[in-house]
Amino acid sequence: MRIAVSRLSPLLACLGLLVAWQLAAMLLHTDSFPTAWQAILTVPDVLGDRESLLNILDSIRRMVIGLTLAMLVSIPLGLMMGRSARVAAFFNPLLMMVYPVPKAALMPVIMLWLGVGDASKTLVIFLGVSLPVIYHSFQGAKAVEEKMLWSGAAMGLSAVQRMFRIVLPAALPEILTGCRTGLVLALITMVTSEMIARQSGAGNILFNAMDMAQYDTVFAMIIIIGALGIVLDAAFDKLRWRLVAWAEPRQDILLGAS
Amino acid sequence: MQVVSLRPEIGAETGKVSGQTRAPAMIDIESVSQRFEVSGRKSHLALSDINLSVADGAFVSILGPSGCGKSTLLYIVGGFVSPTEGVAKVKGNVITGPGPDRGPVFQEFALFPWKTVLGNVMYGLRQQGVKRAEAEAQSRRLIEMVGLKGYENFYPKELSGGMKQRVAIARTLAYHPSVLLMDEPFGALDAHTRTRLQNDLLNIWERDRKTVLFVTHSVDEAVFLSDKVVVMTRSPGRIKEIVDIDLPRPRRRAELLLDARYQKYVVDIERLIDDGRDDVVQP
Repeated sequence: MRIAVSRLSPLLACLGLLVAWQLAAMLLHTDSFPTAWQAILTVPDVLGDRESLLNILDSIRRMVIGLTLAMLVSIPLGLMMGRSARVAAFFNPLLMMVYPVPKAALMPVIMLWLGVGDASKTLVIFLGVSLPVIYHSFQGAKAVEEKMLWSGAAMGLSAVQRMFRIVLPAALPEILTGCRTGLVLALITMVTSEMIARQSGAGNILFNAMDMAQYDTVFAMIIIIGALGIVLDAAFDKLRWRLVAWAEPRQDILLGAS
Repeated sequence: MQVVSLRPEIGAETGKVSGQTRAPAMIDIESVSQRFEVSGRKSHLALSDINLSVADGAFVSILGPSGCGKSTLLYIVGGFVSPTEGVAKVKGNVITGPGPDRGPVFQEFALFPWKTVLGNVMYGLRQQGVKRAEAEAQSRRLIEMVGLKGYENFYPKELSGGMKQRVAIARTLAYHPSVLLMDEPFGALDAHTRTRLQNDLLNIWERDRKTVLFVTHSVDEAVFLSDKVVVMTRSPGRIKEIVDIDLPRPRRRAELLLDARYQKYVVDIERLIDDGRDDVVQP
């Protein structure tokens, strides 16, 4: 029974939010705040529209490319920083400068150089995702037990082999935590970049609808983007759990016993 | 009574084995000193002028108070740390780095947590290029030997400390090192588990008589296991005395604890270590 409740609780929370929204909208009763039900009814309209759907798929494509590129660069960089004090000393000041800058604030400059197309938006997503992935990879690599590496060295693993076959798997739980944060940040920067460089994408649909006072569509888009975030995050967490089950306490067993 | 009268003979025999100092040594440590940078200008002398020779097949313990550099000495033989002065040799070759001829077992276990018990034990063999089926068969035998049959597919996270150390020992034995380097391997275990692992280690060792260099701060453990006990002084670590342990093998704990010679070794060595402590107090 308790397991059933805990499984259902996210769903109940969503439902509660929608009910609160519905009641608030009914009470306020203004055009700019449609009820939850109206917004939900608009979702199929948005997704059914060929152009809107292509725009949303465009957004997802940019997000996936930006995220993948960021992971390909940030994971090796973070791992090297974690294992070499010299590499860390070189990149740390650079990252410290970039860290507090909102990546969307770079958008105007990037648009100036790369235009309003895919390149600019992908680059902003790349920048937005990189820092948490670098940071977590760095922490993960730094925490690898020296003696685990020594054990590998005694077996005959070279420095490069130790990097790939000991540091990488040992740091994987931490790396994937960074990637999960990165995934959510990718979604956020994706929408932000499309709001600034308004040419295509989910963020563009949202703001176009806003300009044309189609508030149902505005809220439907918010629901779609939110749902996308929840689904991607849950899927990634499932993948993460499969990859690093060895590092997690066996919760399913504990729950089953209680 | 008869057992007691037999002992000197057996003792003499083991004495002969451990007394073969002329035979080519497995490990030679020659004038090794180790200095660590502490902060800026300060440096700390961890080991001072260590000379030690370990015969092939000997079980040698390095005993001393914490901070005497005994683990550092082991790491130098492992090739994980290079000495500031002097050289360490294995089979006459100067040690320049880690190698599969010297297998470490650490107090922290240092297992690969993403590998199962079987995966951990197989790791070294696979690295040496042994075919999967052969490596697996050998590893399964070793896992059985250390008493973990049935746990092959468990992850380290699911094992107790004692079981983890059994896996670590099997993992190191798997790639057939000539020397086992054990760094306080039972230091993190409770007394009961510790005793059981000591017994099991002796049983395994008596089968193939690998050279063992065993770091510990427990006098009982050192006397129980070893042919020789190297007693070190507090920092800077120097060799204070090397005590030959002339006790018959195979050793049985229950008999040994009642044996006056065992007790005398323990008391004598404890006294040696206490003297070392006084050395520090006197400027």
